Amino acid sequence: MDAAEASHDSLMTRAMRPARNSDTGERIRLAVIAVLLAFVLLVLPSMLSAYWTDVATSVAIYTIVALGLALLMGRVGLVSLGQVAVLALGAWVGARLLFATGLPFPVVTIMTGLITMVLGSLIGLPALRVSGLYLALITLMLAGAITVVLATTDFPNGGAGFLGHTEATTGAHEIRRPSIATGEHAYFRYVVIWAALMFILALWHVRGKPGRAWATIRQSEPAALAAGINISLYKMWAFALASFMTGIAGALLAGSSGTLYNLTFPTQDSIILLAVVLMGGIYSLWGAVVAGLLIKLLPALLDNWGLPPDLLTILFGIGVIQVLTTAPAGLVDQFPKDMAKLGRFLWRLVGSPGARTPGTAGSE
Amino acid sequence: MIKVENLEVRFGGVKPIDQMSVTFPGGTCGLIGPNGAGKTTFFNVLSGFVKPSGGSVTAFDEDLLAMADYRRARWGLRRTFQTEQAIEELSLYDNVAMLEEHSKNNGGSSRRDDVEGALEFVGLGKLNSNTKVGTLGARERRLVEIARAVVGKPRAVLLDEPAAGLPDEETEHMGSVIRRIPDEIGALVILVDHDMTLVSACCELTSVLDFGKLIASGPTDEVLRDEQVIRAYLGAEDV
Amino acid sequence: MPSWHDFQPFIVTGLALGGVYALSGAGMVVLYRTTGVLNLAFGAVGAMGALIAWDLINNSLWPEWPSYGVAVLFCAAVTLAYGVVIGPALARRDALVKATATLGLALILLGTMSWIWSDKARSQVLPTSTHAFDVGQVAVTWTQVVAFGLGVVVVFGTAAFLKYTKLGTAMRGLANDREITATLGVPVRSVEAQAWLVSGILAGVSGLLLSDLVGLDAVSLTFLVISSLAAALIAQLRSLVVTFFAALGVGLVSAMATPITSISEYRNMAPFVLATIALLWISRKREISFTGTGLGNGRS
Repeated sequence: MDAAEASHDSLMTRAMRPARNSDTGERIRLAVIAVLLAFVLLVLPSMLSAYWTDVATSVAIYTIVALGLALLMGRVGLVSLGQVAVLALGAWVGARLLFATGLPFPVVTIMTGLITMVLGSLIGLPALRVSGLYLALITLMLAGAITVVLATTDFPNGGAGFLGHTEATTGAHEIRRPSIATGEHAYFRYVVIWAALMFILALWHVRGKPGRAWATIRQSEPAALAAGINISLYKMWAFALASFMTGIAGALLAGSSGTLYNLTFPTQDSIILLAVVLMGGIYSLWGAVVAGLLIKLLPALLDNWGLPPDLLTILFGIGVIQVLTTAPAGLVDQFPKDMAKLGRFLWRLVGSPGARTPGTAGSE
Repeated sequence: MIKVENLEVRFGGVKPIDQMSVTFPGGTCGLIGPNGAGKTTFFNVLSGFVKPSGGSVTAFDEDLLAMADYRRARWGLRRTFQTEQAIEELSLYDNVAMLEEHSKNNGGSSRRDDVEGALEFVGLGKLNSNTKVGTLGARERRLVEIARAVVGKPRAVLLDEPAAGLPDEETEHMGSVIRRIPDEIGALVILVDHDMTLVSACCELTSVLDFGKLIASGPTDEVLRDEQVIRAYLGAEDV
Repeated sequence: MPSWHDFQPFIVTGLALGGVYALSGAGMVVLYRTTGVLNLAFGAVGAMGALIAWDLINNSLWPEWPSYGVAVLFCAAVTLAYGVVIGPALARRDALVKATATLGLALILLGTMSWIWSDKARSQVLPTSTHAFDVGQVAVTWTQVVAFGLGVVVVFGTAAFLKYTKLGTAMRGLANDREITATLGVPVRSVEAQAWLVSGILAGVSGLLLSDLVGLDAVSLTFLVISSLAAALIAQLRSLVVTFFAALGVGLVSAMATPITSISEYRNMAPFVLATIALLWISRKREISFTGTGLGNGRS
């Protein structure tokens, strides 16, 4: 009984300690984020060539997509195998609106986000009553269907009609960019700012009422119902949020590439997206950044070094299996944990034998 | 008062609840029976997780079964679970506050007061309410569940084996908390448990289920001495 | 609207495809019922087997039948290896996690196939395709007959096997409750391994057949698993007989949409749409479970 009492005591001691530690931790984190953001916005673009700026822009765009999926998976526990199809929808809608209206780019981006949100929620709607596996399968099916439709219809390129497509080369234009950000570097900064805004949106949700409801739903649906949470509503909200973000990413993607014809959205990519999001870590929002880097930076690096990109597909496949079998929280969680373990080990070497190191209660 | 009339539940060919009629007048009422008697199924009917195939439940003059499941918590129905379901990654404060978040505000007192009051009531007042529940032990988690059940102004509190797995002294503390609910919180309590000491200590009235049927109902000490009840439990529990 | 005459060859194609979907669908159902794993890498495994056979025949100039044998052997080995190595690690997790892990396997295979063979267009002609006969006005190849025939044999054979043999009963026991079956003295790991093995063999066979009927392209073969999945889902992952007829349905609907020009381009949507309808139908009643959503805090 002694060991149990002892651990019980230490749990209680930890619980009764005032919460000042997490406040300073919070402030340090904010400072680090601010510095990083400043670096990325101000210093990074000048260090990169046009090609690498393009890659960096892709990373930022896919970070937004990954953020949406990470919220769905990590916060609510819903797996969507169709986010890339939603991204394709967003790109299509964004391109169409940019051609059809003269509205400023940010306005079109938000409109795209909202329209994609509605469409994405329609996908989520039948899925509400469905269990985890079947939901994942439905998203896969619907994504596949969307991919087929997109493959057979033509992309908007400045023409008239609903599809906005014209065969004539004289009528076809490039997709425009925001007037303040037409160059590569400027557009990169523009996208990063949107990404930062999406992160803030995500945090606002996670720290607020939806986040708490999602945490409850994820752990135990009966407990959620018993707490008065309308599960369908909150699942829908998560889908809507993820679709909104992905729609915005789609509009930014359209603006980035100038034409949708260079882009493909195969079903395989949705699975790769799932893989990188899992590997990046679904329980922390930073995992989305890691995911963006994995999915867009690594291929460019491999290409640079003359290695086949297929190696990455294999790596991601291994990553999925590894994460699911051993480290469910992904790299973002695992790396700091390993670092913390190392830190404690060193501290114990340096400090006095009787000193107890503070526990890691409540990380995040 | 909660009145159950001719309640019946079917799962395929099995009837976990078979023509159950009982009234829970108020205070703390016990509901006991051997394993598989239908007690948790009954709670699941009240919570809305299971749809009965017949019968009615009238709670405080309202048709409980007509309400959507998630609305019942707002209405004032609270419950705890056999395997405790305190949400690990949320803090003590958030776990309890969530109940109020999704219910009508009872007007008057602030949410912080309500939450801290509830935590105080169950004996967790001394803990830092920002602690994540996942770092706490079994005893604290079960108390958090009780705190969630009593925050705000609940009308009915369903407790499903609230002290399961806890040692005797914790069970006693749990019992003292439960006994205070009807008077201090103003809610009707239905307690399901196998621990007869706890049931005797908390409940004035007790009903007994066996194979989904009600076989006894009345003052607790009489019911516990009832021949039929003892036979139903034969060889199963210690009293 | 095309005439009956125009539809005929597509009915044949549809039945042949349906046969293959039936035999792979049956494999998926049995594996799922025995191990709880919905093997989404089924198509990828078959695709790689077909590519290996192609490579041996065309690049190493091996004779045909041994190459096919190697292909099936490879598929059996990969599937068995996955099941024996990864299976136990995820045994206690829920179906969603197990299925997602098979997606990892699919990616590994897709990447490997793309690396070794790249996306060049290839065709695979099975020896059974060189012979054909006429049924009415339609030419039917022996491959199509074999595809359909194997579908029948495998599905109904498996159904009988599950019902009447000791191993089959053990599998049904596992499907029902793994823990209890283990306590009854059934060698759980061994039974599961055999389910994985058979699933792999079926993947190999269907991969070869599809490479002839549909074409030898890694990605499209991989995602043809959706059609088998659709059939299995329509059967609610339970009845093999329903899987059979559902598979025929899926095959026929996709194939017969081909001559109808207005929807022909969208015929690839058919399995997706059918699978979605099946999933929505299965999930009409909402289930509340205490086990969370699987990706939860790591506690299972």
